[in-house]
Amino acid sequence: MKELITYIAQSIVDDPEAVAVTEVVMGDRRIYRLSVAPGDMGKVIGKQGRIAWAIRTLLRVAAIKEDAHAVLEIV
Amino acid sequence: MERVERIEASAETVEVALELALRRLSEAREEELTQDDVEVEVLSRGKAGILGLGAEKARVRVSLRARPEQGEADVAALGRQTLERLLELMGVEATVRLKAASPEDAGSPTVAFDISGDDLGILIGRRGDTLASLQYLVNLMVSRQLKAQAGIVLDVEGYRERRYQALQALAERIAARVKATGRPFSLEPMPANERRIIHLALRDSPDVVTESAGEGESRKITIFPKRLFNREELGRGDKG
Repeated sequence: MKELITYIAQSIVDDPEAVAVTEVVMGDRRIYRLSVAPGDMGKVIGKQGRIAWAIRTLLRVAAIKEDAHAVLEIV
Repeated sequence: MERVERIEASAETVEVALELALRRLSEAREEELTQDDVEVEVLSRGKAGILGLGAEKARVRVSLRARPEQGEADVAALGRQTLERLLELMGVEATVRLKAASPEDAGSPTVAFDISGDDLGILIGRRGDTLASLQYLVNLMVSRQLKAQAGIVLDVEGYRERRYQALQALAERIAARVKATGRPFSLEPMPANERRIIHLALRDSPDVVTESAGEGESRKITIFPKRLFNREELGRGDKG
């Protein structure tokens, strides 16, 4: 799931090098913290959070496949 | 910047002239061109002459071949690659097939893919949420990389097509009912693309008028009898 978030983020930002995803596992809950270059925040959030919402939707599918709950935080 | 599309070059032989012309055209256009990208016309084969007298250089003209499908081919190739990688990373086993765009997608240059495999209900999601997100992200990712708007439409085992048919049938059925009862009827909330199908299906109806109301997730269509609609002056032109 970390790879999924990284792949999407790197394809839509101006500075792919600055994309970093950290994973925190708490039981069956996994929290992913995505950080990007300051100028790229809008690129991963989108108008009214539309891009972040789409990424979370795909993440949910990946999580179901792994029998886990995944949370995406953009920091 | 004016784009050079045709260039002539002369050299001792046709081969050398062609090479020269290709190199100059590539430089002028700032892209790497090969012989496949151009039409070649040999204007003169050249003459060796006698002791340098009457010698004539070989002369060729190369013209950039029309590439109307280049953009679409790029979108299709990168679209497929992106989609397959996303599915793999999501842990979904599926096959991606390029298909002809459906009438619903008419009007914009589109590349359509159909995804098939096991356990694909999860890929469609509630009210098609997942499919919509996947399509949105694939378009975003491909557009950013090609620096051009990509029109990619995704479907999961014909889901969108079946939904399109079902919504049209629903629109007709409800319209007939509204006409018969003379009472407005509200449909379940639907995403924008589905509401559009209903609006379009009944756009030319002599009996009913459609209108959307509500915000976001709960936005839904009400079908009004035309008579009632006009009398109560509900016509605010609030479509969508």
